[in-house]
Amino acid sequence: MTDMSQIPGAAPTAKPKGGSLFEKDARTKRRNAAESRFKMYGIAAIGIGLLMLIVLVTNIVTAGTGAFQQTYLELDVDLKADKLDKKGNRNIEDIKKVSTFGYAPLISAALESEVKKLGIQTDLKPKAMGKILSKAAQAELRNYVLANPDEIGKTVSFRFLTNSRVDGYMKGRVSRESIANDKSISVEQLDFVDQLRDAGVLYKAFNPDFIFGADASDQRPEAAGIGVSMLGSLFMMFVVLALALPIGVAASIYLEEFAPQNRLTDIIEVNISNLAAVPSIVFGILGLAVFINYMHLPTSAPLVGGLVLTLMTLPTIIISTRASLKAVPPSIRDAALGVGASKMQAVFHHVLPLAAPGILTGTIIGLAQALGETAPLLLIGMVGFIASNPPDGIVAGFLSPNSAMPAQIYEWSKRADPAFYERAWGGIIILLIFLVTMNTIAVLLRRRFERRW
Amino acid sequence: MDSKAIKIAANNVQVYYADTHAIKDVNVEIEDKTVTAFIGPSGCGKSTFLRCLNRMNDTIDICRVEGDILLDGEDIYDKRVDPVQLRAKVGMVFQKPNPFPKSIYDNVAYGPRIHGLAKNKAELDDIVEKSLRRGAIWDEVKDRLDAPGTGLSGGQQQRLCIARAVATEPEVLLMDEPCSALDPIATAQVEELIDELRSRYSVVIVTHSMQQAARVSQKTAFFHLGNLVEFGETGQIFTNPEDPRTESYITGRIG
Repeated sequence: MTDMSQIPGAAPTAKPKGGSLFEKDARTKRRNAAESRFKMYGIAAIGIGLLMLIVLVTNIVTAGTGAFQQTYLELDVDLKADKLDKKGNRNIEDIKKVSTFGYAPLISAALESEVKKLGIQTDLKPKAMGKILSKAAQAELRNYVLANPDEIGKTVSFRFLTNSRVDGYMKGRVSRESIANDKSISVEQLDFVDQLRDAGVLYKAFNPDFIFGADASDQRPEAAGIGVSMLGSLFMMFVVLALALPIGVAASIYLEEFAPQNRLTDIIEVNISNLAAVPSIVFGILGLAVFINYMHLPTSAPLVGGLVLTLMTLPTIIISTRASLKAVPPSIRDAALGVGASKMQAVFHHVLPLAAPGILTGTIIGLAQALGETAPLLLIGMVGFIASNPPDGIVAGFLSPNSAMPAQIYEWSKRADPAFYERAWGGIIILLIFLVTMNTIAVLLRRRFERRW
Repeated sequence: MDSKAIKIAANNVQVYYADTHAIKDVNVEIEDKTVTAFIGPSGCGKSTFLRCLNRMNDTIDICRVEGDILLDGEDIYDKRVDPVQLRAKVGMVFQKPNPFPKSIYDNVAYGPRIHGLAKNKAELDDIVEKSLRRGAIWDEVKDRLDAPGTGLSGGQQQRLCIARAVATEPEVLLMDEPCSALDPIATAQVEELIDELRSRYSVVIVTHSMQQAARVSQKTAFFHLGNLVEFGETGQIFTNPEDPRTESYITGRIG
């Protein structure tokens, strides 16, 4: 433009009025400053959130990974026939008569011979040596013998769990100083553990029993696993899915597509939103009152847990389903009605398929919420139950007492032995893996099936 | 123009949205095999009246219709009439092209399917082809019937919607500003199509464009503030209107 003005005869350029565009006036500067300040607040907020998340995840991972490893001691046990099967006829009923207590001498004999073989010098008495093993070792041995009675009389190599103190020592949680007042382990025993470790028979290894195994009593934290309560959660989720999805979707379709707009439906609508905000423990006490005290359904059963969680999940599913039904453009309904479809055909042929990804996402997120819910389970007795045996069969899975993952975590976190603390963190890792997986599936489903019009 | 059979007769029709009196005392007779245009300024009730003709207003809770609308002498607001059955006879094309997010084939086949018009796949194929030909879009889509209908251009989508509407063999075709979302070329194609459809159906078209009304219709009804001001031969309405309001509107002084 500047050279234009140099052309003779061309019209002169007008002077800018009220200041040049190249200079910001005070008002613009203030506005720009306010905007960049606001952006900074936003970035700071996100930064704080991310930092918290990183701290949380590192914390969980560092505290919880220990639970996936366990200290084992390898021993060759001589399954002496004269001890285990006195009559010598390999009758399983006779073998069962030998209690876990009867297996203890076999283990300490095996430990003694191992010590001799490795040439370890120790002042410990055989009984004190045996103390480094878990109380679960004898039961493990007995179960093995009952399952394989033919092995009696042979020498079999076993990998026994060690005591939680020994395990803690191997993981750095327990030290010689910290056990000063501890009656269950002594400095000599730790020295003995060191010797065994150096000999290579005592080592840390991945512990599948933590993921797949059952919970154990207070005395044996090293044997506790989350597997059975995982099954409990699974059965609860079956109940929730089977009830909450059809009821929720049916209710939403009716409310969104068929119900007249009047005061009654308004009240229902407001109350569904209110229900979503009701503290979960309230649903727990409702479940206790209705399902257990009034209907006499079994206490601690995943069926009851599932029913309570269904009540809790329903509003979530209804709200998300209605939102996704609303998001389907009305022109699609008009189009269907215009060619003579009935209202139901319009809904089921056109609206519902378009809303399905949203409904599925809402359902999965509702399920994930239910999966992590602890408070209602407190009241129906799924907490504090020792899930020591997996349910036998599908019916038992629903009806026999069990725990659930978050309840199991809560249960571990309140037990006294610090070894359980580690397991609680480990359980949280497993629970989080489930939740993250479910949410990822929800996101992927939404991405995959989302339609544009 | 020789007079034709009366397809739809409306007598003293009143429409209320809650307390608002949207359509006041409308009497109109729509002839068979004729294009009837409804014109008028925005909010004058022409679309509302159109939607009364196939009871699409039933989907609006607060809407109430009084008076008689007779289709072939039968009152469509009679208690015995199922609106679903009525809508199969009185098809509708909407302002915004609204194909189902399905294949072109399924878009057209949907109506015949739910009404059981085809006994087998071959018959259905026939209906689809015939409808797409009537919608003047067959040549453009015959090679990609499995492609999604939403992937077509605006004008093609609207012709697809017309094909979908004629697939159920309606007797009356209602069009609510079918060209308002289309460019001039697509509009010309749709207008040409409307003229062809006249040979088989009674077409009622709501339009904002007076030129369009003049081009495609034989009869024109002018609505103003919920009243049917004037109804007559299109040529006469545009050249020699009786009512001063009509004259003001077509000369651009109100609206």
